[in-house]
Amino acid sequence: MPEEPEISELLELVKTFTHQGSAARIDQIASRMGRSLEEVQQLADQATRSGLTSKTPVGIRLTDMGEASVRKHREEYVHQTHLHGGSLTGRVIRFLEGNVRDWHGHWRHHGFDDESLPRFYENLENLQGRIEDTVSLADLRGGDKCTVVLALGGHRMVRRLAEMGLTPGTEITIVRIAPMHGPVEIFVRGVSLALGRGIASRVLVRRPTSSRASTTI
Amino acid sequence: MEAKRRLTVCLAGNANVGKSAIFNQLTGLNQTVGNWPGKTVERAEGTLHFKGYTIRVVDLPGTYSLSAYSMEEMVSRDYIAVEKPDVVVNIVDASALERNLYLTIQLLELKVPLVIALNQVDFAAKRGITVNAERLSEILGVPVVPTIATAGIGLQELLLKVAETAEKPSVPVDVRYGREIEQGIKKLENRIEAGLEQMSSCYPPRWIGTKLLELDEDVIKKVEAENGSDIVSEAAGVAQQIEAVHGEPSSVVIASERYSLAARAARSAASIASPPRIDMNQRLSAITADKILGYPILLGILTGVFSTVFVAGGAMVTVLEELFDAVIVPGTESALRGVLPSMWLAIVSAGFVWGVGAAVTIVLPYIIPFYILLAILEDSGYLPRAGFLMDNLMHKIGLHGKAFIPLLLGYGCNVPACVSCRIMETDRERFIAGFVVTLVPCAARTVIILGLVGRYLGMPAAFGLYLFDLCLVLVLGRLAFRILPGEPMGLIMEIPPYRMPAAKSILKKTWARTKDFVYIAFPFIVGGSVFLQLLSVSGAMSAIADFMSPLTTSWLGLPSITGIPLLFGVLRKELTLVLLANFGGTFDFGSILTPIQMVVFAIVTMIYIPCVATIAALAREFGAKRAIAVAALDSILAVFIGGLAYHLLSAVH
Repeated sequence: MPEEPEISELLELVKTFTHQGSAARIDQIASRMGRSLEEVQQLADQATRSGLTSKTPVGIRLTDMGEASVRKHREEYVHQTHLHGGSLTGRVIRFLEGNVRDWHGHWRHHGFDDESLPRFYENLENLQGRIEDTVSLADLRGGDKCTVVLALGGHRMVRRLAEMGLTPGTEITIVRIAPMHGPVEIFVRGVSLALGRGIASRVLVRRPTSSRASTTI
Repeated sequence: MEAKRRLTVCLAGNANVGKSAIFNQLTGLNQTVGNWPGKTVERAEGTLHFKGYTIRVVDLPGTYSLSAYSMEEMVSRDYIAVEKPDVVVNIVDASALERNLYLTIQLLELKVPLVIALNQVDFAAKRGITVNAERLSEILGVPVVPTIATAGIGLQELLLKVAETAEKPSVPVDVRYGREIEQGIKKLENRIEAGLEQMSSCYPPRWIGTKLLELDEDVIKKVEAENGSDIVSEAAGVAQQIEAVHGEPSSVVIASERYSLAARAARSAASIASPPRIDMNQRLSAITADKILGYPILLGILTGVFSTVFVAGGAMVTVLEELFDAVIVPGTESALRGVLPSMWLAIVSAGFVWGVGAAVTIVLPYIIPFYILLAILEDSGYLPRAGFLMDNLMHKIGLHGKAFIPLLLGYGCNVPACVSCRIMETDRERFIAGFVVTLVPCAARTVIILGLVGRYLGMPAAFGLYLFDLCLVLVLGRLAFRILPGEPMGLIMEIPPYRMPAAKSILKKTWARTKDFVYIAFPFIVGGSVFLQLLSVSGAMSAIADFMSPLTTSWLGLPSITGIPLLFGVLRKELTLVLLANFGGTFDFGSILTPIQMVVFAIVTMIYIPCVATIAALAREFGAKRAIAVAALDSILAVFIGGLAYHLLSAVH
């Protein structure tokens, strides 16, 4: 079922205005879209009928299907930006790893294999939406607190990190960072864990203080 | 009740939760207790009697999960699923409940009769954490017994629950996931039940389904072997759908959900009385792992260990030597004179008595202090910190910080060090670590370095040799890392809190290791010594020495008599020194070897072919081919470097 551009925009805004379990408010969405309340109500009804959103007493939220749709839309958007707008890929890589020249070799060195590297390339674009505002674990300092957003890497490594307690949304505290590109010690789920710098630099996290106010600008 | 009196119970749990302590308390068997991740790498067993039951206790390796990540995890889950013990005792650290329950949930998924030992409740209380065992038991549907393993508290109650559970298993809760995962599992479950009869008889079909969604390499392999790729490819499709909905790989989604179950159970069963404040433990941790102070402390500890061994060992050597030289050797000789013919007298006194004397006077004094200090380092929890500090250096040889632990253990004995290489995650890393470990001078080689070079040329020269060896380890490790195919892994290692080492555990460990040493080494030392005397008496000695002389005298610049001790060193490294003393007829090596010869001799023994026990351990861990390759490489290298050292040192002097 092809989606109308307005619906896509609506879903995108519902996503933006949904905060920690509280639903997005219609008036907020309307003012951002520059449309009347009624028009937005109609769009919302349409989206709800398609199973993309559900209504709550205070507003509107995304269903699983809606979430998937937003993700897909973002993916397409980023893909287009990447194709026409130049080096988003390069930007992301630079953002993650600093000035690494031979970054293909660099990622391989960090545990990507022939199977996971192409997948990583494929996913790079749709990762972009999620890795905005994030920093890598290795960029923080002792005493900092942060929340896991996602781990990049080969399947085994990502699964292992999750099993050791670094699942998305988990709060962690940086205990200390060893010098000379040494490992990072973190405190997670009541346990101290040492992560090699290579692994730590591929765990993307968000600082809790990063204000959500920025979404309304 | 009367019918079933033999039970098999296995202990499962994370590393560092006191699993080995519980095992020791239950069985009284000598098993080494370590305070670093993955210490219990071999399966240990013991038997106990309790209320008419004969209970066989199997200690599984410490694991955080039951995935296909490491050998230990696969060993554990296969043991539980295939051998089907009567009861599984899951030892859980009360001070880190959430993380420990992650494994518990996986045990629940395996549908085994489960009893939980809630251990280290005292340590948790110190951190302000109290756990309501009854509440936890209600939530999980299995018995929960609070224990303090080190003091033996709660173990009777634990055994009581084990016996009860064996007679009448409790009803554990079902582990349920979110919608997408549950749908996925449902979809696979029926097909698994129909298509995988053999596997389903061991593992619950639901568990197989979950593992397939986690893309567990080992389970995939097993399913494909039994049923081809149909089910696997369907599972891969389902996993992809899950990934599309959640934006995370399905394995991460499943881990997340398990953790949220664990967190919920932990939150409702545990209460944190006071916010954890910075205590002595953390302060000590901060200093010893500090980015500046940590290194001098590490260096200080290692220097301290070797200096103590040198001083304490040296003092004991002097006393024991005098005792042997002045009392025991002449005493036996005069007692046996007249009883035995003179040829046999030479063999008995110069062979047997000397051999025992050498083993006791030269070898034991250095080995016992070293084992004591090593046990203290292990039990205190310092080793993972050392690994943390050394991670960077270890990466230079394609390994990570964890590899520093086998390396350090190697200074004690290469054999357990080779076995402990199992803590490395991949085969490639295990092998590089194993190869590098054989180059680490073990206690036996320390005897030679300290007893020869240290004693006659001074400690700086001995330390110089250690330093040289360390460089060699790094260079060869780097080479192996370059040559062997594969990608390096990163470090993921738990850093346990510091614990005060218990004297009992230290002594137990030292005793067990010394006993092993005496049983294994003494026969070689004494036998070798006797055999050497036989050769000497029969006149075969000079023939062998002559045969080896191009190598020993021309290239290495050693006296020709050293050829035979070097040959015997294959049995035990310290034998080279012992036999050298035997040959020279004196413990004063200064009169046998020149300083340069001492250095060359020490270098050669330090590097050349690993002892038979190590070769056997290598063969068991990595296969005969690779063991032979390592032995050959080490020998060639030793001769090459030894010769080079001789020619260089002679040129300088």
